[in-house]
Amino acid sequence: MILHYKCPGCGSDMSFDAESGALSCQSCGRHENIENYPEELKSLRFSEDEANEYHCENCGAVLITDTETAATHCSFCGAGVVIADRLSGNLAPSKVIPFMISKEQATTAFQKWCRKGLLTPKGFMNGDRIKSMTGLYVPFWLYDLNSKVQVNATGTKVRTYTQGDYIYTETKYYDVFRDINLDYVKIPVDASEKMNDGLMDKLEPYPYDQLKDFKTPYLAGYLAEKYNYSHEELLPRAKDKISDYIESYIQSTLTGYHSIRIRDKQIDTKNQKSDYVLLPVWLVSYDYNHSNYIFAMNGQTGKVVGKPPISKGKVASWFSGIAVGTFFALKCVSYFMGGGF
Amino acid sequence: MSVSHFRKQSLLFLLTVLLLSLPFGFPQTAKAQEFDRMHYIYDDAHLLTSEEAVELQTLAADLGGQRETSFIILTLNGTDGKDIVQYVEDYYDDNAPGYDQPHGNTAILAIDMQERDIYLAGFKKAEQYLNDGRLDVIREEITPALSDGQYFQAFSQFLNISYEYMGQEPTSDSGGYTDYGSSGGYVGQNSYETGSDAENIFFQWWFQLISSLVVAGFVVTIMANRSGGRVTVNGQTYMDRNKSRVLSKYDNFTHQTVTRQRKPQNNSSSGGGGGITGGGHSHSGSRGKF
Repeated sequence: MILHYKCPGCGSDMSFDAESGALSCQSCGRHENIENYPEELKSLRFSEDEANEYHCENCGAVLITDTETAATHCSFCGAGVVIADRLSGNLAPSKVIPFMISKEQATTAFQKWCRKGLLTPKGFMNGDRIKSMTGLYVPFWLYDLNSKVQVNATGTKVRTYTQGDYIYTETKYYDVFRDINLDYVKIPVDASEKMNDGLMDKLEPYPYDQLKDFKTPYLAGYLAEKYNYSHEELLPRAKDKISDYIESYIQSTLTGYHSIRIRDKQIDTKNQKSDYVLLPVWLVSYDYNHSNYIFAMNGQTGKVVGKPPISKGKVASWFSGIAVGTFFALKCVSYFMGGGF
Repeated sequence: MSVSHFRKQSLLFLLTVLLLSLPFGFPQTAKAQEFDRMHYIYDDAHLLTSEEAVELQTLAADLGGQRETSFIILTLNGTDGKDIVQYVEDYYDDNAPGYDQPHGNTAILAIDMQERDIYLAGFKKAEQYLNDGRLDVIREEITPALSDGQYFQAFSQFLNISYEYMGQEPTSDSGGYTDYGSSGGYVGQNSYETGSDAENIFFQWWFQLISSLVVAGFVVTIMANRSGGRVTVNGQTYMDRNKSRVLSKYDNFTHQTVTRQRKPQNNSSSGGGGGITGGGHSHSGSRGKF
């Protein structure tokens, strides 16, 4: 089933407007509040054998889609359409963070970011080679994880003192135990096969206060994907993401000792809840020097990630600049310390 | 202005200029004084007989000539109210001793009979070769003779040991001093602190050059790695502070061990060390009492 939003006023295509956060008509400027829209996809069931061909509600043309695509544009008439089959039943997202940054704002922000690059080549800094800006709702699982941690360790406190002709080193040993409860909420893990995990991790954090109950009109005019991995499959990755946090928390409770040797550590992490959400990402395809670079921008905060090209000349200038500066500084320090210039 | 506007060439030029200017120190402010640089023994406290003084003068001239260093001995009856270190520094500033030039290589042994202070100082090449550690060794070696009133013996020891040290690179003997026959007293002195200025690695230009290259490489690598964006979330971002806490804990003392170690023999009156004179000459030093 294809969902397509027609303006009740003028009959033109409607799409989600990032600035106003409403479904809007570009022809007559009408705004529809999305939060009041009825949403019955969760209860809707479609036949298991998904249709492999969809027709645009607007013009009737065949929609060309990947099997993951949940929202797209009709390549013929350009209307934003939502493929409801791929967002219903257990594919129905529970929440969504709508785009806050429109395409124009994203373009400006990206160009600004290009200019900030300290090591990027001059030609790249203009930011005028953007091939495409794609607003994509990326499927994420948000995990609420609870960890029960029990740690047994041996701690030592060392004291040295002098008595008579001897220096005494006194080492006290302690049997240390910690029972810790840790709750981490809304750990985002991207559930799309296409998206680079490292890139997606760097896009965090998403402002969760903008999480809205999922309504299909939020997707109108943008691309969306359905998840490739279930929450069971991605649980190890979520646990992996918090393992460092847990370690550093444990360390923070073991203070006051000169040395700590952990004898036994039990970490039992359980999944309390996992929510399927769609998070907004602008994908920027950028052409520089005959190769293509992909950047991602957080559709809420505007944070840009992705590997830009590195200019060898600039690296050389920075390197020699810092080397000369440090050298000079060291010379001055040693001069003032009495070592001669 | 960002560094990106710097021309690469100009940076390289700057680097080259800096490197070339390395071997040359600050220009010396040499002031010629009426001072006989060939005279080495100044026995103001009259501790030596005239024969002894002549003998020492000959010895100092001979050994100093081989090491291109002035070995100067000052015996004092009071230091005009100055500290002995200050006195020696001013002496070097005012009289500009040196083997072949004013303010040249000089090693000074000064003793003050009023305070029973002894101070040894090395300037220029002698600062390097007779560093604080070596001067400590010399001082400890001659102090017993000074305390006994055997000044001639102590002074000739000073000349001989200094002469030996001036012939050995200070870095080559970090494992301990070789015993060079005149007495066995130096063996076992290898545990002294090697933190003297001249040997401090921090003051070596090649060390400074290497560290600046390392720092620059480190910074640029970080810049390159961060150019692609970085993770800005941490353990606090997703933690539920209301529910995350230590539920129970204990820290039970089990046992303790005590080890003891003999204190390193503290020199009864060590310290002093080197410094910089009012005239801007840095030097090594060792002071004590006798």
